Amino acid sequence: MGKVGWQGGHSEGMILAARGTRWAPQTQPLPTQSLAPRKPEEEEEELEETAQEKKLRLAKLYLEQLRQQEEEKAEARAFEEDQVAGRLKEDVLEQRGRLQKSVAKEIQAPASADIRVLRGHQLSITCLVITPDDSAIFSAAKDCTIIKWSMESGRKLHVIPRAKKGAEGKPPGHSSHVLCMAISSDGKYLASGDRSKLILIWEAQSCQHLYTFTGHRDAVSGLAFRRGTHQLYSTSHDRSVKVWNVAENSYVETLFGHQDAVAALDALSRECCVTAGGRDGTVRVWKIPEESQLVFYGHQGSIDCIHLINEEHMVSGADDGSVALWGLSKKRPLALQREAHGLRGEPGLEQPFWISSVAALLNTDLVATGSHSSCVRLWQCGEGFRQLDLLCDIPLVGFINSLKFSSSGDFLVAGVGQEHRLGRWWRIKEARNSVCIIPLRRVPVPPAAGS
Amino acid sequence: MPGANRRAGAGAARRPRGARDREEDGEGLEPGAAARDLLRGTSNMSFEELLELQSQVGTKTYKQLVAGNSPKKQGSRPPIQNACVADKHRPLEMSAKIRVPFLRQVVPISKKVARDPRFDDLSGEYNPEVFDKTYQFLNDIRAKEKELVKKQLKKHRSGKEHEKLQQLLQRMEQQEMAQQERKQQQELHLALKQERRAQAQQGHRPYFLKKSEQRQLALAEKFKELKRSKKLENFLSRKRRRNAGKDRRHLPLSKE
Repeated sequence: MGKVGWQGGHSEGMILAARGTRWAPQTQPLPTQSLAPRKPEEEEEELEETAQEKKLRLAKLYLEQLRQQEEEKAEARAFEEDQVAGRLKEDVLEQRGRLQKSVAKEIQAPASADIRVLRGHQLSITCLVITPDDSAIFSAAKDCTIIKWSMESGRKLHVIPRAKKGAEGKPPGHSSHVLCMAISSDGKYLASGDRSKLILIWEAQSCQHLYTFTGHRDAVSGLAFRRGTHQLYSTSHDRSVKVWNVAENSYVETLFGHQDAVAALDALSRECCVTAGGRDGTVRVWKIPEESQLVFYGHQGSIDCIHLINEEHMVSGADDGSVALWGLSKKRPLALQREAHGLRGEPGLEQPFWISSVAALLNTDLVATGSHSSCVRLWQCGEGFRQLDLLCDIPLVGFINSLKFSSSGDFLVAGVGQEHRLGRWWRIKEARNSVCIIPLRRVPVPPAAGS
Repeated sequence: MPGANRRAGAGAARRPRGARDREEDGEGLEPGAAARDLLRGTSNMSFEELLELQSQVGTKTYKQLVAGNSPKKQGSRPPIQNACVADKHRPLEMSAKIRVPFLRQVVPISKKVARDPRFDDLSGEYNPEVFDKTYQFLNDIRAKEKELVKKQLKKHRSGKEHEKLQQLLQRMEQQEMAQQERKQQQELHLALKQERRAQAQQGHRPYFLKKSEQRQLALAEKFKELKRSKKLENFLSRKRRRNAGKDRRHLPLSKE
């Protein structure tokens, strides 16, 4: 290969050189190897003079051919690639907690007649979970039963009755108030925790009892599965957080840090969980692989409920009526709404309504809070979660002990009782112990036209 | 010279390894070559060179060097970030494995620090003159309290209360007398000082009284007082009795 002509460092020339060594026939050792295998003998003199130019022209021709071939292939692939790239981008944003769809402004308050009421429990409902495919609802109550309801028909699919206190083994069930429940993201396992320090694992489809986890030293108050796995996080009034592996029926580890009974726990797909510390006054984020915790302060009352909005933000409610939005980088809440459900009592002796449950639609800006102020309030999170604005009220009488959004965002399911899920401070006789399915109608808001 | 022999031997060993530009000056100085090898790392040195290095540097540092060159295994868990002033808005990060005791501090309690002003540096040094001057007002209070006690004494003329009040009154009077004495001592001291100052101004050297002389002066003052108050006889007789008792000790003991 003549090095004289290629001093400029042509990249095309390099490609040519590589291909030339493969394709050029080893007939005559020419001073410069050319690409085209057939060369007329008459043009050799001309070739030697304009060798560089001819090489350049041939190279360009070849590249043109390649380009055309690639374009044809690319058109076929383009559509698929866009979809895959889009999905990957969404996943990354979700992981970082920045994916946010503005859904809140499209929500319309439903009419009272649209709310479906499923009655079947004898005492107040304490907690409920929705299966990930939105086909069934599990609800548990103070009468120690767990009922599986169908979402479309509203019929009872299965009832797990109360177990007698003495014989706990034979018909598996709870013998004390069920305080919390969780379902895995593939809809396979259901976990429930009660006041007698037990965590029972059920198969969600058939409601068969699988395992019992013992180890907590006080009532189990919070349960959550890590999304996409069978790892279960549990917390209890003994101030500890325990990690279990349900598929392998094993205990993994315990984490300490809270200074008073923990009230609630939630987790998403990271190996992190967040707990509401009750009278402790702290919200803690537990980083399990690093065995460390982040401590957040901000509420004045006992923090009773917490829910993750996305990987980086959460919403919590306290018994002084305040609802707070938190971000992982600030130790104080990003937004704090005091007396979110108003004040109750005699004039002059007014106390704020306790917030008994909060829920958030995943990766959106819609938050729902429940108390015993005969309504469920829907809130919109402002820009960057720095604000909390009231959207609408949904009238519902009783203690709203549990709120859950369906994964598609079409329904809000509320567990209603006559008493608070943790005790009997008040009893609302007008309320009915029931599971209420509230449909959320979405009316697309037309983009505001500039005047 | 041993250095030269070693140099020749090392050079002969190194040459077949490959031509290097810095070998000429590297071989000239032994410590230079060893340092350069250190920079490269002890893994590249031959056993002969390692022994040389060890003999030069000493076993302890050699071992440290060897340990330093080998790649350390990183801790399985990354360390929790240190608290920084700029990060005061970030949530506090703590370990999650430390058990929390059952009892916790609900209200911040500050321990009461007990200060004894007698032994506290803040109170300063005790200067009796300054003390008496600044706390002069206490004399009025003490006088008033004495009047009160006398009045109380008029009320209770017999019994336990009477005795208690008597004792209290006596104590107060004694304290007053002691204070007066102290005051007199201070005045005497001051007078002497002024005398000394005057003498020094005149040009004489200051004369400090001996302890015995001071005692004599005090005794003289006391005699004058006693004479004025006509208690001299009483005082002298008591003194004689006490001295007699003391002298009897020195007499030889009579034993049968």
